[in-house]
Parts: sequence; structure tokens; C-alpha cells
Amino acid sequence: MGPETAFGDALPNQQTVDYPSFKLVIVGDGGTGKTTFVKRHLTGEFEKKYEPTIGVEVHPLDFFTNCGKLRFYCWDTAGQEKFGGLRDGYYIHGQCAIIMFDVTARLTYKNVPTWHRDLCRVCENIPIVLCGNKVDVKNRQVKAKQVTFHRKKNLQYYEISAKSNYNFEKPFLYLARKLAGDANLHFVESPALAPPEVQIDLVAQQQHEQELMAAAAQPLPDDDDDAFDG
Amino acid sequence: MDDLEKAVLISFDESGSVDNVLKSQALAFCEQVKESPSICRICIERLCFSKLVQVQFWCLQCLYDSLRDRYGSMGVEEKSFIRKSVFSMICYESVEGENAVRVLDSPVFIKNKLAQVVVILIYLEYPVVWPSLFLDFLPHLSKGVLVIDMFCRVLNSLDDEFISLDYPRSGEEYGAAARIKDSMRQQCIAQIVRACYDIVSMYRNSEPDMCANVLDSLRRYISWIDIGLVANDAFTQLLFELLLLEGLLDQLRGASAKCILAMVSKRMDPKPKLSLLQNLQIRRVFGLVTEGSDSELVSAVSSLVTGFATEVLECRKRLNPEDGKGIADELLNEVLPSVFYIMQPSVFNTIQNSEVDTTFSFIQFLSSYVGTMKNLTSLTESQQHHVGQILEGIRALVQYDPVYRNNCDVLDKVGKEEEERMGEFRKDLFVLLRCIGRVAPDVTQMFIRNSLARAGTSPVDRNVEEVEAALSLFYALGESLNEELMRTGSGFLGDLVLMLLSTRFPCHSNRLVALVYLETISRYMKFVQESTQCIPLVLGAFLDERGIHHPNPNVCQRASYLFMRVVKLLKGKLVPYIETILQSLQDTVARFTSMNVASKTDSGSEDGSHIFEAIGLLIGMEEVPLEKQSKYLSALLTPLCQQVEVSLESAKTPSPANIANIQQIIMAINALSKGFSERLVTASRPAIGLMFKQTLDVLLQILVVFPKIDPLRSKVTSFIHRMVEILGTSVFPYLPKALEQLLTESQPKELAALLVLLNQLICKFSTAVNDILEEVYPTIAGRIFNVLPRDVIPSGPGGVTEEIRELEELQRLFFTFLHVIATHGLSSVFLSPSSRGYLEPTMQLLLYTSCNHKEITVRKACVQIFIRLIKDWCTRPNGEETVPGFQNFVIEAFAMNCCLYSVLDKSFEFRDANTLVLFGEIVLAQRTMYEKFGNDFLMHFVSKGFPTVHCPQDLAEQYCHKVQADDVKALKSFYQSFIENLRQQQNGSLVFR
Repeated sequence: MGPETAFGDALPNQQTVDYPSFKLVIVGDGGTGKTTFVKRHLTGEFEKKYEPTIGVEVHPLDFFTNCGKLRFYCWDTAGQEKFGGLRDGYYIHGQCAIIMFDVTARLTYKNVPTWHRDLCRVCENIPIVLCGNKVDVKNRQVKAKQVTFHRKKNLQYYEISAKSNYNFEKPFLYLARKLAGDANLHFVESPALAPPEVQIDLVAQQQHEQELMAAAAQPLPDDDDDAFDG
Repeated sequence: MDDLEKAVLISFDESGSVDNVLKSQALAFCEQVKESPSICRICIERLCFSKLVQVQFWCLQCLYDSLRDRYGSMGVEEKSFIRKSVFSMICYESVEGENAVRVLDSPVFIKNKLAQVVVILIYLEYPVVWPSLFLDFLPHLSKGVLVIDMFCRVLNSLDDEFISLDYPRSGEEYGAAARIKDSMRQQCIAQIVRACYDIVSMYRNSEPDMCANVLDSLRRYISWIDIGLVANDAFTQLLFELLLLEGLLDQLRGASAKCILAMVSKRMDPKPKLSLLQNLQIRRVFGLVTEGSDSELVSAVSSLVTGFATEVLECRKRLNPEDGKGIADELLNEVLPSVFYIMQPSVFNTIQNSEVDTTFSFIQFLSSYVGTMKNLTSLTESQQHHVGQILEGIRALVQYDPVYRNNCDVLDKVGKEEEERMGEFRKDLFVLLRCIGRVAPDVTQMFIRNSLARAGTSPVDRNVEEVEAALSLFYALGESLNEELMRTGSGFLGDLVLMLLSTRFPCHSNRLVALVYLETISRYMKFVQESTQCIPLVLGAFLDERGIHHPNPNVCQRASYLFMRVVKLLKGKLVPYIETILQSLQDTVARFTSMNVASKTDSGSEDGSHIFEAIGLLIGMEEVPLEKQSKYLSALLTPLCQQVEVSLESAKTPSPANIANIQQIIMAINALSKGFSERLVTASRPAIGLMFKQTLDVLLQILVVFPKIDPLRSKVTSFIHRMVEILGTSVFPYLPKALEQLLTESQPKELAALLVLLNQLICKFSTAVNDILEEVYPTIAGRIFNVLPRDVIPSGPGGVTEEIRELEELQRLFFTFLHVIATHGLSSVFLSPSSRGYLEPTMQLLLYTSCNHKEITVRKACVQIFIRLIKDWCTRPNGEETVPGFQNFVIEAFAMNCCLYSVLDKSFEFRDANTLVLFGEIVLAQRTMYEKFGNDFLMHFVSKGFPTVHCPQDLAEQYCHKVQADDVKALKSFYQSFIENLRQQQNGSLVFR
């Protein structure tokens, strides 16, 4: 085994499928929902119980596009320093990436630039998607308007909810288009996803927020939607 | 390959082909090596001969970790060895012998890792231990590409790791950055800039890629170095030459543009800034905006032009006429045509795709430019011309591409995506439109009128998009118009609304057009309200095939909602039209009142509640005679209730379709009831009240027959809320049955819903609900203490789960519940014989929460409850305690823990507004305790409590004095300084509780 080819072997089975495959690195603070997100696909089940990822877990996820099948090897890395393993060592030869933060925890957004820097140190010039997860939760701390980092660094931003499958495909579609260099590429069939744990209803979500602002002593929840009269 | 190399390779292997045991052995082995005292030497040696990138990466990471974590304990010799070795590596020298491996021959991620090691050395050693680092490095640049490339990586990494303001940093890191920058400014930055100049001059033709990198690195430094180093004739000349040279690599041209932009954007006083801007002769680059082909170059030049214009405008704002405001004006007029050119869709979209941030600063600039026209009495001709150009630009940009017409109409996946994208894209442009609408209202309204007229006659291949865009502009403009303007329709506005209402666009069947048409009418309803002759036109638009009867269900649904809003607003003015409206809606309503379930499910998304609300608003008015009112209402309620009764009679577990049907019916009735006021239903027309009571009877039966079906329970609960609102006290006879049914479930979510209902009852009826509350309180308290922990709701390591959120919500509502009970004269409920058992745990929970809850407002509520209870329970008319033991509990536990210890805790932050309000309540509690207990309170609180926190005698005396005076405000400010005083004395040495 020569040293040059040795590195290829460190990548998971990329040679074993006969359609294009890409290494996708997922980073972000611990508890932001990286593992939950990748496990939505295929047989992945949404787990309410939180178990920190140790080092890295690699999940091959297949998607069907109008240009044929493609596979993302998703490297789901540990967000917590103490379970870090090789940390940025896992990013080596990454071809695209997702940076995840949790819209209900401000600090996780504050740390996004650092994740981005560490990622770019190892993977120069790869397409990256920024994902704000858990938008199904009522009390978000990071409002969509406050998310500006992606503009500075030319990343794509999506709001997602791993729990409800909301926007699950978006990050993958964006990366697939960038990697294929084809802005019109699209998924021809939806991947099998685990059934949504909650139904996201953004309208209801606004309504909830409005409700919370109303005087705590007099809550009158009914089906009224005057809350978003505009 | 030796053991370490093998172990590293295995630990990097994620192919799944490595046995788990072997892998953990390998990881353990690597960890063990890492712990070795000579690890740095091991790594450096390995870097000299291993060509395996994993091994190189691992070694550099180890080296970095050791420097970061163990630098303090390293010996002088070891440090020196590391320094020399690392320096050799970046200079492309081999550390050991000629055949050794050179790190700079490795892939980029290894070189970046090496740069990270160099930068941590700079952080640790520059300038004190290793002052010559940069100056020593510069001569090696002559070795060529590899070393220059490494030099750039070091500069970039230094910026990323310590200098750039883009990352969250610790105070120590900020200090280090200041130290590094100061030393570099003094010692070597001029040489570094010079080196960059020389490299670019020398290699621009042979190595344009590398030169672009050099300029990119230099650009990061321009914001903090002496501007003269780059803004001089030689350097500027070079940058413009590169930028303008056709045929040169676009990246290098772009990098030059970005460097010039960094100079332009440098923070400076306006006068020198203006002369800098003037000297650049930016007009040289204008041609590149219009002629550019490469998207990245067009983006870079557009950024530059925008940045330049922004800075000129800024100078213009800050300069007086005698300081060169005129020059700024000239520069601005010179650059504006190029700026407007950027608004062309082809250019703008190019930038949008490659550099989003530029489009943001671009629109920002246009907004500031328009902002300069604020407060002018009239606009000059050229200003009007400019504004017109911007409006044209907006109109062109917000148009959909006809290729998506069908997608958006049927709203398939592509259509949804395009609509979403457009919605996002339009936001900032519409903000700009509204800015213009404010400074130049006539120009803007004229522009929209012309756009509408033009769109109406545009060719078929573009008409949908043009009409949609023109309507959207009109709609967006409305958002900022004030009420007065809306009502009177002054300027061209009234004309515009009339034009809107009376125009029938040929493309009305298109979903997007139909939607924005209705939205726009709704937005300008205030005008219609004043001009009642328009009402038939409005009703026509909503009720015919442009609205509720539009072929697209999506449009119907939205039309129903908007129609309801229109009815709400026009209400009384619609009385003459009620009959007509009801007739038009007959077919829609019949879908819900007919018994055929199948026909409803295919009606798609419209759930009917908006239509029913609109009808309720119309028929619920007092202006409608009683006879008609009863007729209308029973025509709706009777068939709806019958359907529910049929479902209830069959009494089997209903099918999902059946559940959905019942749900829909409850929502419809609920919506219908919103039009009826309490006064009408209970006082003036009890016959109507009776109809709602009968309905309530039927719907409550749902809870009895299907107690386990959550969606039905929550819908019925909503309906009860409504009935409480409109039936007033006459709802009381129904409450026992309702509450009994709602109490059958005790999951947090259901309990929370029940508490919301009880809170509503208490707030609305106060002591009148005493008996009902006494009846249910013990059961509720029992349920809640079963599910809620007595202290803190735990949160898992992975953040907050749904279960925890539900518990938190329940807890919050429970405190609100206790609060409304106490503050509505119902505290005796806590003391009834069957509730008595919960008194002790409730008090303990309140005490704990008042001291510890993470939400300050919850703590405040708890303190307020205590104040209320002290007032209610501690008056001793006959010398006997109402609640034996309560006084002692309050004085010993509440006063000490909440009023003293919790406030003394450093986490009690006086600068926080909520906390300050809480503090006010805590002070009020003390005063209340003094009023009720007198010396009993002082004896314990001052004589026993204060010594435990080492309060000096004189302070304690002052406290007694203040608390006895009837001046809570003075007491509050005294107590704050008292606490701050005590905190200072203890200086954190005491830990309370």
C-alpha cells in the first residue's frame, strides 16, 4: 500500500458505488441536532433521547436526481469538544459541508464563525450550507432576521426542523446543485424519511409567539388568527 | 511504517473495514504517545520523514495542542527546538538532511495546519521571545511560489485566529491581537506590504493565481495598517493596472478590486478620506460594470463601485460646504449612473449568485441615498430622475420569470421554491420602494399608476408577470402609508384604488395575480371605508370568480380569510348587503352544513372557519332584527349540531374523517359565535343566547362520548372559552359538567389547557367562581403535584426536549393560576378543608420558586402571591391566626431566604430591569410584613437574620428606621445600597444557602 493511495482507504467505501458520491461534513455545537438530522433519512429514526456523538459517524445517504442517483457520505461529527476524537481530522477531503446551529440557543449561533473557520482551514473552497435547526420550537432565541453570517461568507442558509422534516431536502439539494454545477438539478423522488415527530405550522408558530406576548393572566387560545393581521 | 504511523492510519479509517477493538487500541496507543513528555520532538521528527498525510496532520495537531496547553511548562531548549524546526518548515528547509520530507510539499490542509502552529507560536512568543520572526521570514520569499504561498497562509491564519473581528474572542485574545498588531506596525508591516508589492509586480504574469492570493491576504490587513502604505501612487497604480488589464486572470483582477475596496472602506476622517477617494479616479473602472463578462469580476467591480458611492455619501453627510461637500457631490453624480446600471436584472442577478453581501450593501446604499432627500421641500430635477431610475430598477427586478408561470400557478415543488425565493428577494427592494414612497410620494404613485396601465396592455407572454409585479408594488407601497393618507386617498392614491377595483385583468385566473389582487384591495380597505360607493365593487371582487369562487382552491381559501377581514372592518356599512352576501355564499356554506362527508374532504384546504366568522360578524350585528337574526343563526346551527348528534349517537370510535368533520364543525360554530357580543346574547336578545346554550349542550356531549380524542377535546375547550366570553355568568350551569370531563385526563398538556380555562374564568368572574374553584382545586393541585417536580425541572444534556417544554409550560401556567387566585380575592380556596393538604407543598414550592426560578418574572409573581396571602391571612381581628404557622413560615423561611439571601446572591442583577421590578416586590413584601407583624418581623429578620450575613450594627439600625417609615420608595433605594454594601464587605467569601 503506497502512501498516496492509503488516504483513499481512509474514506468510507467511496469506491463501492457506481454513481457519484461526495463526502459531506456536518459540524456545529453539541446538541444542535446534527445526528437527528442525518438520521431522518432512510431507516434513521428520530431519537428524543440525546446521546452525544463520539468522534464521528458516517451515514451514506442516497438521493435521486434528474441526472441520476447520487450519494452523500455524511460525516456526522461530534459537537462536544470532549467527544471530539480527531476533530478537524475528520474534515479531510470533505467535498461539501453543513454547519448546524440551534435557533433556540443563541450561543450555538455565536460559534458558527469558528466552525466555519476550522472547516475552511481543512477544506478550502467547498460549498457550505448553514442550517438553523429546531424552528418548530415556540421560543426561538435566534430570529431569522438575526442570521447574517451566511451573507458575509456566501453560504446558503436554511431554516430546518429535523423533528418535523421541515426543509430536510433543501441543504442536500443546494449542495448537489453546486457539486454538479447545475442550478436546475432537482430531486425526482423524495427520500424515505422517518415520519414527522411534530407537524410544523409556521402560521401557528407566529400565533403562539403572539400569544406568549399577550398578558399571561388572560390567555384565550382559540382558533383565531387575527394575530397576524400585519 | 512503524507502530505510531499504523495506529494513526487506523484511527483515521472510517471505512467500516477496521475492527472496533483494533480501532480503540489504535486510538489508545495514539493517546498514550501524546502523553509522552517528548511528544513535540516525536512529532517534529516524524514530520521530517513521514509522507502519510494522516500522520502529518496528526503530528501538527499534537504540536498545536502541546503548545496551547503545555507551553508554560516547556523548557527553554524545547521551545527553541520547536521554534527553529517550525521556522525551517515554513521556509522550505529540511530539518534533517537532504532527503527528508518537506511539509510544504504536502496538500493544502497540511500547510494550513502548519500555519495554525506558526500562529500559536506568534501568539505565545511574538514579539517578546521571538521578535525577528517576520523579518527573518521575508528574505525566504525569494525562494518562490511555495514559500510565498505559505507566507499568505500564515498571514490569513493570523487574521482568522486572532485579529479578525468576525469571531467570538476572549478578552485575553483581544489583548494578544492588540499586542501583535502594535508590534507589527512598529516593526515590520511596511516591509511586509513592500514584499507584497514586489511579489505582485514580479509574478503578475507568470503566477497570477498566487498574486491574487497575496492581494487577498494583504486586503485583510488594510483596515489596521497605515493607509499610506497602500494608498500611494505606486501601489494604487499597480492595483488599477491589474484591474483594468483585459486578458489578465479574472481572480487577480477581482483581488485588485477588493484591495481598492478595502482602501476605500478604511475608517478615516472625512477630509482625508475625500481626497483619497478623489485621487483614486474611480471613473476608470466604470466601463467594467457595463462590459464585464466574468461574473466574479462583475461582482467585485460592482462591490467596489457600491463601496465607493457609499463612502462618498458618508463624506458628503459629514462635511461642511467649505470642506469640500461640493467635491463629494460631483463624485456622487459621477458614480450614480454606474450604480443604477447595477440594478439591471442581468447584472444584479449575477452578483446575487456570487456575492450576496454585495447586493445587501448595494440596496443599503440606495436607501441611504434616497434618505438624503428626506426633509427636502421639493426634489431637484436630477433627483427626480434618479428616483425614477431606481423605481424602474425595482420594477424590473421584482418580476417573475415567465418560465415559472405554470409552476407558480399550480404551485408545484418548483413553483413553491420560486415563490419562496422571490418573496425573500423582494423584501429589501420593497423597503427601498417604501423609502422612495415617503420622499417622493407623487413620483411613486404616478409610477405605479403607469405600471398598472402598462401591465394591463402588455403582451401575453409577459402579462401575468407584469401585472403581478405592478400589483405587488402597489401592495408593498401600502405598508408604509399612514392612516390619514389611506382614508383620504390624497394625491393619486384614491385614483389608484378606484383603478384597481374597476380593472379586470385578462390574467385573473392566474393564482399569483388573483392573490395579490385581493391582498392589495384588503390593504387599501381604509379608503373604501370612507368611500362607500366602492363597496359593491369590493364585494364583487371577493364574492365572484376573482375571490371565493376562484377556480384555484388556494385562492378561495385566502379570499375567505381576507373577506372576513374586510367584513370586520366595514361591518355596519354592510347591513344593506347582508342578504346578497349570504346568497352568494350559499354554495360555500352548504358544503359544511350538508350531511355528505365525502363532498367536504375534497373541498381542499378551506376549513370554512373564515367564512363562518364573516357570516357571524354580519348576522351578529344589533342592526339585524331579532327575527332575521334567529332565522339566519338557526339555519346554520341546526344542521351543524345535527351532524354532531348523529356522530355521537352511533357512539363507535369515529373514523379519522369523521373526527376531522366534527372538528371542522366545532371550528365553524366557534367562528360564527365571534360575531355575537355578550351584551346582545345575555341582555338584549336572550333568545339568541339560548341557541348558543343549546349548542354548548350538544358540543359538551362530545367530551362525554369521546373523552380520549385529543383534537376534539381541544376544539371543544376552545368553544367553552368562547362561550365564557359571550354567555357571561349564564355559562355557570354548564361548567361542572365541562370541568368534570376535562379533568379526566392528567397529562401535562391537557392539564395546561385546563388551567388556561380556569385562569380565564377567574379573571372574568373573580369571586363569583369561588364555589366552582373550591370544588376543583384539590383535584387539580393533586394532579399537578404528581407531574411537576417540587424544585427545578431538569434539562437533559442535549438541550430541552418536548416533554420538558410541556412541563415548563404547565409550571408557568400553574404559577399564573396561583397568582390569579390570590389576586382575585380567592385565597380562601387554598384553605378549604379538602384543599388544606396541599397548602404545605404549595407554600414550599412558592418559596423555592421565589428564590430560585430561572425566570425573574415567575419569581416576581411568587413574591406577589406571598404579599397577597400575608394581607389576606395575617389580620387578626380576634387575636387568632387564620392559618396557624403561616406567620412563622413567612418570617422564618420567606423573609430570610427570599428577601435576604436570594437578593444577596451575586446572580441577582440590579442592572436588569425585570430583576429591579422583582426587587421592588421584595421590598414591598418586607414593608407588608412589618405592617402585619411589627416587631415580630424585626426581631427575627434584623436580630437573627442580619448577623448571619455579617451586617454591621449601624446598617441594621438604619434598616429598622427605614422599614418603619411609610415610604416604600425610600426603603427600596436604601435596601439596594444596603445589599450592595453587604456584598462588598463579603467580597464573595460567603456562600449563602
